[in-house]
Amino acid sequence: MRLLDLRQGAPLFVLDRVGVVHGGVRLLDGVSATIPAGRLTAVVGPSGAGKSTLLRLLNRLTEPTTGRLLLDGRPLPEWDVLALRRRVGLVAQQPVLLGERVLDELRVGRPDLTAEQASSLLAVAGLPERFGERRTAVLSGGEAQRVCLARQLACEPEVLALDEPTAALDPASAAAIERALGQLLASGHTVVMVSHDPAQVRRLAGHVLALRAGRLVEEGPPAALGHLDVEVRT
Amino acid sequence: MNGAVAATAVAGVEVPSWGGVAASVALVAVAVAVTARAQLGLGRELVIAAARAAAQLVAVGAVLLVVFGHGGLAGAFGWVALMILVAGQVAGRRGRGLPSARVAATAGVAAGAAATLGALLAFGVIPSQPRVVIPVGGMIVSGAMQASGLALLRLRDAAETARPAIEARLSLGLPARQAFAPHTRGALRTALLPSIDNTKVVGLISLPGAMTGLILAGVDPLTAIRYQIVVMYMLLAAAALASLTSARVAERALFDDAHRLRPVAVGIPAKN
Repeated sequence: MRLLDLRQGAPLFVLDRVGVVHGGVRLLDGVSATIPAGRLTAVVGPSGAGKSTLLRLLNRLTEPTTGRLLLDGRPLPEWDVLALRRRVGLVAQQPVLLGERVLDELRVGRPDLTAEQASSLLAVAGLPERFGERRTAVLSGGEAQRVCLARQLACEPEVLALDEPTAALDPASAAAIERALGQLLASGHTVVMVSHDPAQVRRLAGHVLALRAGRLVEEGPPAALGHLDVEVRT
Repeated sequence: MNGAVAATAVAGVEVPSWGGVAASVALVAVAVAVTARAQLGLGRELVIAAARAAAQLVAVGAVLLVVFGHGGLAGAFGWVALMILVAGQVAGRRGRGLPSARVAATAGVAAGAAATLGALLAFGVIPSQPRVVIPVGGMIVSGAMQASGLALLRLRDAAETARPAIEARLSLGLPARQAFAPHTRGALRTALLPSIDNTKVVGLISLPGAMTGLILAGVDPLTAIRYQIVVMYMLLAAAALASLTSARVAERALFDDAHRLRPVAVGIPAKN
């Protein structure tokens, strides 16, 4: 049995009474939850529930005001923050492109990336092989989102934190992203994803965290959540 | 009347008499009349500016007289230090909203001025006399102030508007300096362009201050340009060092130990 299989389902992140206050506003309030390894954890809840804040906590772009987060049983500040960010890749809801061509984009975090490696990453993200030569200025929203996913994958993260990766995409682009996520889960990655789509959560998630007004209201596998549709859509 | 306003010879140089200075107030009246006729509403401001300029220059002239007569080189350096502090406050206001903007500006102006003035004195390019150190120091501090102010203005704008791009780079595991590098480069380019442009066109579309002053003092133009060449080169160095130092100090203050971009006070316009 591979090490991967042994770890699957074990708590990777533990949130211990985590609270975040920013600019006098309480974004998260006493959230205690776990994020299992090797599965897709969907973070659901209405706008302003604290979903994006929770994602930003995972790679320390945001620091908890109270409580603590553990990764593999160790408090997050004990990990080297730059190594942590390569291990836990965050893709924002709005794709932000940084390079002139797609290949430059993929090399932002991985300057030594070869053209062949770039093609493989683009294939995982559902983009054609020769896409690396495309100028980023002409990409559609769906293509840009997939390029951002591939850019993060170039850093070989163990965990992907995705903020509504399919929210503004056409059905074909959303399906391509879902296929990519399926491949990543199959290869042992952990995914934490904000979603507003109950069907998507049922298809992909092994674990759900439902937030409302900064508090955790439900946690568990999608089938066990009594009001999943309500929690996801509101 | 003509005798009262005629130039007088001071140390072999023809300069306006106090009567001539008083007569030049008529030129302010002309400016006030023009603005009044054009209904610009600037008359009061013009008069205040003219009065301020006269008062400031009289005060500075009196203080310089004391420094040149009794302050010695220590007094001259004290004067330059004071100019650096004032310039740091002015340039720091351009970066208002950035953490430690005034510290960054003062550090930049101080670094630019100290290195440039120090080098000129160390190599004997200019004599170490108060009447040279103070005006040359003033030119250097002024150039450094403009460059630092521009660099901080651009850095503030970048930290305010480019947060998603900066955080995208941080999310790829890049350290703060690398994540901010494109914005620092842009800010430094902006800060240095005026100095580079001024250097390019010097003598063609402008006869700069040092050279003009020497020519007015009776120095022949081919000798005067030697001073001006040194001035242009020292201004380039001062601008480069000041903007780079300010940018580095501001950059450090912008990120915390966990390579997170600190909040920038949004919506505070840079003061003119």
